[in-house]
Amino acid sequence: MSGFIRFIIRRTISIVPMVLLIVLINFFIIHLAPGNPAQIISGLEQPSREVIKALEHRYGLDKPLVVQLGIYFKNALKGDLGYSYIYSEPVIDLIKERIGATLLLTLTSAILAFVSGTFLAAWSSRYKKGILDSILSILSYVLYAMPSFWLALILILIFSSNLRWFPTAGMFNVRLSLHGFARFGDILYHLFLPVLTLTLIQIPVYFRVTRSSIFQVSRDEYILTMTAAGLERKKIFNKYVLKNAILPSVTIFGLTLGYAITGAALVEIVFAWPGMGRLMLDAVFKRDYNLLLGIYFVLAVCICIAILLTDIFYAILDPRIRYK
Amino acid sequence: MLNMPFMRLKKVDISYKLENASVKAVRSFSCDIEKGDIVGIVGESGSGKSTLALGIMRLLPPNALLSAEIMSFDGKNILNLNQDELRRIRWKEISIVFQKAMNALSPVHKIFTQMYDVITAHSSDIPKGRAYKMLTELFGKINLPSKVLNMYPHELSGGMMQRVMIAMSLIHNPKMIIFDEVTTALDVITQGQLLDEIKRLVKEFGLTAIIITHDIGVVNEVCNKVAVMYAGELLEYGRVKDVIFSPLHPYTKALVKSHPDLRIGNELIKGIPGSLPDLTYPSKGCIFYPRCDVRLDLCKDVKPKISVLGDHIVKCHRIQG
Amino acid sequence: MEVQTEVIVTRRKGKNIIKFWHNYRQSLYGLIGFVILLLFIVVAVFAPIISPYDPHAMKGEVLLSPSISHPMGTDHLGRDVFSRIVYGTRVSLSVGFIAAGLSAIIGIFIGSFSGYYGGIVDEIVDKIVDTFLMIPAFFLILIIVAIFGNSIFYIMLVIGLTTWPQNARLMRAQALSLRERTFIMVARATGESSIRILFTHIIPNGVYPVLANTALQMGGAILTEAALSFLGLGDPNLVSWGKMIYQARPYMTFAWWTVVFPGIFIVLAVVSFSFIGDGLQYAFNPKLSVKQKEVSA
Ligand SMILES: Nc1ncnc2c1ncn2[C@@H]1O[C@H](COP(=O)(O)OP(=O)(O)OP(=O)(O)O)[C@@H](O)[C@H]1O
Ligand SMILES: [Mg+2]
Repeated sequence: MSGFIRFIIRRTISIVPMVLLIVLINFFIIHLAPGNPAQIISGLEQPSREVIKALEHRYGLDKPLVVQLGIYFKNALKGDLGYSYIYSEPVIDLIKERIGATLLLTLTSAILAFVSGTFLAAWSSRYKKGILDSILSILSYVLYAMPSFWLALILILIFSSNLRWFPTAGMFNVRLSLHGFARFGDILYHLFLPVLTLTLIQIPVYFRVTRSSIFQVSRDEYILTMTAAGLERKKIFNKYVLKNAILPSVTIFGLTLGYAITGAALVEIVFAWPGMGRLMLDAVFKRDYNLLLGIYFVLAVCICIAILLTDIFYAILDPRIRYK
Repeated sequence: MLNMPFMRLKKVDISYKLENASVKAVRSFSCDIEKGDIVGIVGESGSGKSTLALGIMRLLPPNALLSAEIMSFDGKNILNLNQDELRRIRWKEISIVFQKAMNALSPVHKIFTQMYDVITAHSSDIPKGRAYKMLTELFGKINLPSKVLNMYPHELSGGMMQRVMIAMSLIHNPKMIIFDEVTTALDVITQGQLLDEIKRLVKEFGLTAIIITHDIGVVNEVCNKVAVMYAGELLEYGRVKDVIFSPLHPYTKALVKSHPDLRIGNELIKGIPGSLPDLTYPSKGCIFYPRCDVRLDLCKDVKPKISVLGDHIVKCHRIQG
Repeated sequence: MEVQTEVIVTRRKGKNIIKFWHNYRQSLYGLIGFVILLLFIVVAVFAPIISPYDPHAMKGEVLLSPSISHPMGTDHLGRDVFSRIVYGTRVSLSVGFIAAGLSAIIGIFIGSFSGYYGGIVDEIVDKIVDTFLMIPAFFLILIIVAIFGNSIFYIMLVIGLTTWPQNARLMRAQALSLRERTFIMVARATGESSIRILFTHIIPNGVYPVLANTALQMGGAILTEAALSFLGLGDPNLVSWGKMIYQARPYMTFAWWTVVFPGIFIVLAVVSFSFIGDGLQYAFNPKLSVKQKEVSA
């Protein structure tokens, strides 16, 4: 077990340079952007001289670039991401309010996509070269090529405008003030279409990876051993092939989450979901750089953490990894 | 099927279909194995030994084509068995230890889990506790500590892994075991230990065994019969003392000569010049013709018949039986 | 022996192209993708001839449903949707080609240098590539475009500048394995300069995975441009598919065609590039193609 703990520590340390690199990118963007860095950080169109002075002092903008970078690092890691001028609130507070909704959407869809992608791959691998396999394969190309926002619009057209099964926007019905279980149900009801969209666009990734991995694992020696030993096919597939074949999909879970968050931001905008996507759109339109960079930073850190967690989960599944 | 030997293979052909060729890996292979025999199959790399073993187990990959006049085992016709009948025979009556032990078990399941699944594949209502006890005992016989049961395959050394696979092959007390180059990947000392253990176990369990190797020395040590294979064909078959100490086929002679422990007197160790023929073509004459140093004109175009000299079989134009 | 055959492989370029095409044809997807792409290129080049109307002309009636005179209807300003889609092909294709091409060039250079020379630089490059691969490039692209401007030129540049790490990773792996090969060793022993070895041996022999990946990235670039346009960050002076969807969104519920058709074309274009990527993988890696055939067998 101590090997496992050492593994976790090693992995955790290894994401530090990544976070630092992102801070570095942000820092450069601020300094390369047109306009005065102090003005950008202040989040004001025309900050007064005193404000600029104060900010220059606080962020060390009157000091050499290297020192500024150090201060910027320190602030970013403390969670001080500057002020948003459109909301006149600290960026970090704005993000804190909305990140939950975004993560709810992203994680739900990622897990659903993982499960259904794996299931479909296992199912289609039983009908190699059949019609079903071809249809699923082409469908996976099409879904992979589909812009998330467009798919969201199409689903709204079909299920909300035409069939009127689902609401078009929001996270809950603001007119009814529901509580407890009813509120939970209401959120699920609103969650359905956005999650469906995001799940659909992620399924191809898991489907393809698992499909080819099932194929590869089926040819591995130990499957031959198990067949030679007279185990039933079903048992071999469900226990030995599947557990070995999902390992690659687990490793890409963290990476795919990054892709999912991108999709989520766009889908949130379509469904007026009260998450970070909306915030991002406002920031883009009103050119609120601070807010934009803050969102970027927080999302990047979230993804790093997600990748770390999937690595750890992977190590639980695959005993070989802990000893490397 | 009266008067049938324990295992009879007659005119076994196995070929692998490739995109635009077909590799004839086993060609018209025939031999009989009696109960209690320990048959060594020797031959250089690529001569079709593993393919033959997989064919006997009916475990060939989908791109392989198997045909034979007779393939019988313990009174059963192996050729006609359906998947379910095969499943019941495998491991219960005949088991195999594969060439690459390191990959022979699932890397993400503990040894015990996999062993237990093999146990329950043929006898369903054995509780885990009893299985554990049984396996501990079995492991003891092959010098494996029982803690190995709680380990993962990657935590074991090559020799331990090979022992685990041998233990696994013994679980259901089969009548026959095929050992496919079980010692090849191991160091000399482990090799020796393992061979001794195999010898002992074969006796203790009253097994019939096929031991595949490219080391004729191993055959000499463990087996009572030996089959010499070359490019998919059986060239010579008989008792070890006949085949190794008075070989008839030029290829067997060369094999024996090239072995440091078996050569007679102080003859120089000689390799055999040339290499295996391309297996995608059918051979017209003797398969060994291109590399044979005592070939006749006849050998080029006419396939030699099998000459039977008592229980010593050889396929060479120079030998008449 | 090995040295000679390898040298021959690098010299027989003409033969290689024939063999390449032979292998490429084995992939049905690759072939279909190639045909679709050809059609798109024709449409883009001959846009003025193919489109029945001026894409900017607000002459027709507003929000007409598809008919013979307007095969894909008209939008909220009375512009012909089909004509706009035809012109949008130009934007999507050029974004795909230029952005992914830039990404390929940068990736090939950085990857081959860092893989071939190794050392501390290689380690740093590897770490940077790792980070970039983990964090979705879209947000970075979005920020840069929002801050520095959204002309199509910027958009292509930024996509190229942020998506090269994948290519660098592929190229680096190739360089790492190639530099241990006999013919490179021989070249080094005979005193060829490193730069020359890089350009005449490493890059020409190792570039194939990058090319297959570039086809996929072309599709990716098209999707990125569409998403930027959907956020209102597209080039204000051009007609693009993403922008059409963005502008049509408010009228979507009573004029589905304004949203549905541009999206279908995005999907078609991206799928065709994925298919081509597939075909290229077959062509560069015949072993893989045998395997994949078995998958479908
Ligand atoms: N799955 C396969 N598909 C195609 N050809 C195969 C396959 N497996 C084996 N072969 C070919 O069949 C021939 C015999 O191979 P086989 O593995 O039976 O030889 P072997 O005697 O066991 O060799 P070794 O001593 O190296 O284990 C070889 O030419 C090999 O290339
Ligand atoms: Mg073998």
